Amino acid sequence: MTKRDVTFTREQIAAYAAASGDQNPIHLDDDFARSVGLPGVIVHGMLQMGVLATVASEDAGGPEHLRRLFVRFAGMVVPGDTVTFTAGRGAKGKLDLSAVNQRGEPVLTKASAEFAPSPHRGAIRRRAPSRVQDAPRAQGEGRGA
Amino acid sequence: MAAVAGKTYPAVRIEIDRERVADFARAIGADPSDGVPPTFAAVYALGATAPQLFGDEDAAIDFARLLHAEQEFEWQRHPGVGETVTSVGRVASDTSRRGMRFVSLEIDTTDAADAPVCRSRTLFVIRS
Repeated sequence: MTKRDVTFTREQIAAYAAASGDQNPIHLDDDFARSVGLPGVIVHGMLQMGVLATVASEDAGGPEHLRRLFVRFAGMVVPGDTVTFTAGRGAKGKLDLSAVNQRGEPVLTKASAEFAPSPHRGAIRRRAPSRVQDAPRAQGEGRGA
Repeated sequence: MAAVAGKTYPAVRIEIDRERVADFARAIGADPSDGVPPTFAAVYALGATAPQLFGDEDAAIDFARLLHAEQEFEWQRHPGVGETVTSVGRVASDTSRRGMRFVSLEIDTTDAADAPVCRSRTLFVIRS
């Protein structure tokens, strides 16, 4: 089993916001976060999922082996919270995953992953391509928790 | 509120930028030398297309009440640094119950040869 404890900081949240482009003020501005009913800034769900993916990748033998990852964002994580992320081998080709805070509350639930011993190409159902536009260079648009 | 189930947004092309990948890897506690982290799909899939949904007047998403409830990525392969990929977002479902709105966004990412790279599924919940 692979396990990692992460105590989230405002610096890590800011670094993730910059790198991911998710600059939603609920992650960066306490006053704004409180104005929409949150206790203050909260950690991006996608940052938690990113750490879980890192732990899952490690357990699977490398990120190139990860084929699928699902999470439900079930609990709020705030700066100073310590989340324990674990990944272990489950049934064939699957990983058992968990993310639990310092009070023993799961913050990511129904987390599941599949991995492959070697990179493979399966069949994802394709949709017809549509018109292409270039992505804006600066991605200031944010997302929810 | 207008339901926009079935709506597909214009494809967005995005380059997997080395520096951004390294910053992203460090932010999630991964080793930048391990290549593009799997959840960098947050950038090339979700980050590329979700703003189209949020900016869509027909969808009328109340951003301040938006929660990211569930996320799934399914990879055919992980793109490499320097690659250009194309993501297309589609509203798979848009329903309301008990005053909450549930919007599911599905994103297909393909490579320069139009081969599939990643499928992303997001469930957004908009509180009333």
